[in-house]
Amino acid sequence: MNFRALNHEDIEVFSEAISAFFLNMTHESAVVRTAYLLDGSSAPLWSDFNGVIDVSGGFRGSITFSAPHGMLSQVLQAIGEREHSVDRCLDVVGEIANMMSGRARRHFGEELAISPPSARLRTLPPSVPRATGVPFAIPLRWRAHEANLVVHLDIRR
Amino acid sequence: MKARLLIVDDSMVIRNLIARQMLDERLPPIDLVGLAGDGEQALAIALSRKPDFITMDLTMPNMDGEACIERLAEVLPGARIMVVSALSDKATALRAVSKGAHGFLHKPFSEEQLVVALLELMS
Repeated sequence: MNFRALNHEDIEVFSEAISAFFLNMTHESAVVRTAYLLDGSSAPLWSDFNGVIDVSGGFRGSITFSAPHGMLSQVLQAIGEREHSVDRCLDVVGEIANMMSGRARRHFGEELAISPPSARLRTLPPSVPRATGVPFAIPLRWRAHEANLVVHLDIRR
Repeated sequence: MKARLLIVDDSMVIRNLIARQMLDERLPPIDLVGLAGDGEQALAIALSRKPDFITMDLTMPNMDGEACIERLAEVLPGARIMVVSALSDKATALRAVSKGAHGFLHKPFSEEQLVVALLELMS
């Protein structure tokens, strides 16, 4: 089966999804920076909390939102959640990954089949990647916190 | 009489967020009859507590939202269901409606969008 790598237009959809999440849910914009290729020499972007969506259908790979504890605590506070425990941070990091992946279906259509999120602490290593292309990282800043959306997808031609 | 609401989402943060908006003064009085984390739990609660209104996520473990909507349309045809999902393509929304959903709210949503969607569901 033939797969192609992501192009600029595909990546733009995910940058827009990041903006939409922070603006709608927290009423505060995030600064979304330019996406870059995560080649072998890049530092790993695995953070305190990591929400992972496995992707299938006409696609192969995963979409991961990685964020520090401080950011997720403040996101929870901004949306009115009183409890800021580790469990709640795991819940919200998975839900953020879910929202950003789901929104990308506006561009890719329902062929982008997404799994329920799995959320992992920094201490659990990332899974072996299923996509073969080079992943893109989209860095963002919200309030004083830095996070990353890593999009590692092959798209069926 | 209070409107009976069931909230279905695999995220507790989202369940809590929707539950908090029930107190908005524009909405009719609401009795929260249950919180479910997947379609199987939702069906069990719906059968025992008979909600009038249901908010339904789609991407969930065990039984997903589409399958749950289909079953609810059979066993609780009077319940009005609003999908609250991140899946934002048109085909998914149309399919959910064809299976028995009465409305669709895309995540991420603002509190205002949620209240307006609940008002429409309950009108």
